[in-house]
Amino acid sequence: MITNGIVETDSPEEFIEEIERAQNVLPKKIDANPKTVEKGLAKLVLILIELIRKLLEKQAMRRVEAGSLSDEEIERVGETLMKLENKMDELKGIFGLKDEELNLNLGPLGDLM
Amino acid sequence: MKLYLYGIIDSSDQITDSIYGLEGSGVYNIPFRDIGAVVSQISQPIQDVTESAVLEHEAVVEKLMANFAVLPVRFQTIIDGRDSLLSMMQSYYKDFKDNLRRLHNKLEFGIKVIWPADKIKENIIKTFRNGKQGKVESDSSLSKKFIKEKFDKYKIDKEFEAKAERFIKVMDIFFSRFAAEKKLEKLKTKNLLLDAVYLVEKDKQNDFREAFEHIKSGPPGLKYLFSGPWPAYNFVVLSKKSGLLKDSEQTVLFDKVTQCQALVGADSI
Repeated sequence: MITNGIVETDSPEEFIEEIERAQNVLPKKIDANPKTVEKGLAKLVLILIELIRKLLEKQAMRRVEAGSLSDEEIERVGETLMKLENKMDELKGIFGLKDEELNLNLGPLGDLM
Repeated sequence: MKLYLYGIIDSSDQITDSIYGLEGSGVYNIPFRDIGAVVSQISQPIQDVTESAVLEHEAVVEKLMANFAVLPVRFQTIIDGRDSLLSMMQSYYKDFKDNLRRLHNKLEFGIKVIWPADKIKENIIKTFRNGKQGKVESDSSLSKKFIKEKFDKYKIDKEFEAKAERFIKVMDIFFSRFAAEKKLEKLKTKNLLLDAVYLVEKDKQNDFREAFEHIKSGPPGLKYLFSGPWPAYNFVVLSKKSGLLKDSEQTVLFDKVTQCQALVGADSI
């Protein structure tokens, strides 16, 4: 039926797998039934918190790389980031969420997780 | 009777070839000024998206592509009737004309490349561990150790990204020589190094294909997917200023990834 277009590859299964992975980063529907609405909302909020946490972490790493943080500042930033990460782990545990469930494709920035 | 829309073409003439579309009905051109909307009549809305229906849609678009510049329309685009269609054509006429002019005599090709991400990261980690280990000195403080771990990971990820960038740059040099426009996406997944679409002039498609064959014989460990030629699904650009259709309807008309392409394994080609 296709008169012109061809798809040519030596590894069709691998490409199908990767394409599906790339497309399934976000659920197609938000699961908002009465039984799961709490977890659904928690997931949404935690994704946003995780995004902000990752941005803070990246910014901190850039500053470490640039050498613009003093020893005391590194100590303070480290403590803050560590506490944030621990708190996130705690919240994920409470709502029964795994790391991969909080993933978010940020386009050119890559995956959140 | 509703009209099923396949695409907009750069001609107001009737289609001379016998083309049959969905439900086996004849495909014809409804002219508007110097362009046209290619349609067939449809008795009822499409209930199920079937592979055969999607391929029938794609086959019509590809037949049109042989003789005209085509703005392919998304599968399942149904217009209420001739008046609604002409009204839409009027609202979008300038956009359609601009796109048809830009896409005239051009085809879309897709290139996807998978690389062995785990192996590459492993090598980076090995090199990193053998070399300088970041700028933060480790001491007994927990928070400093935490920062050091994060910093090491940051450096490794950064090198991974830079390596991907370098690979893509080299490949793109080959393809860009024969492309009028391109859209590249890097690392959509850690393994999917490159997901690119190139807009290529018809008379350069063999050169483009040769460039792909040349790239394929390059570094080992990479896997390639080549697709095309397709109608320029990914290069239709509508201005937001057009009147009748809302923004959401615009995306319905010209969706970046059509179900048709998905079915033939060429989504976001």
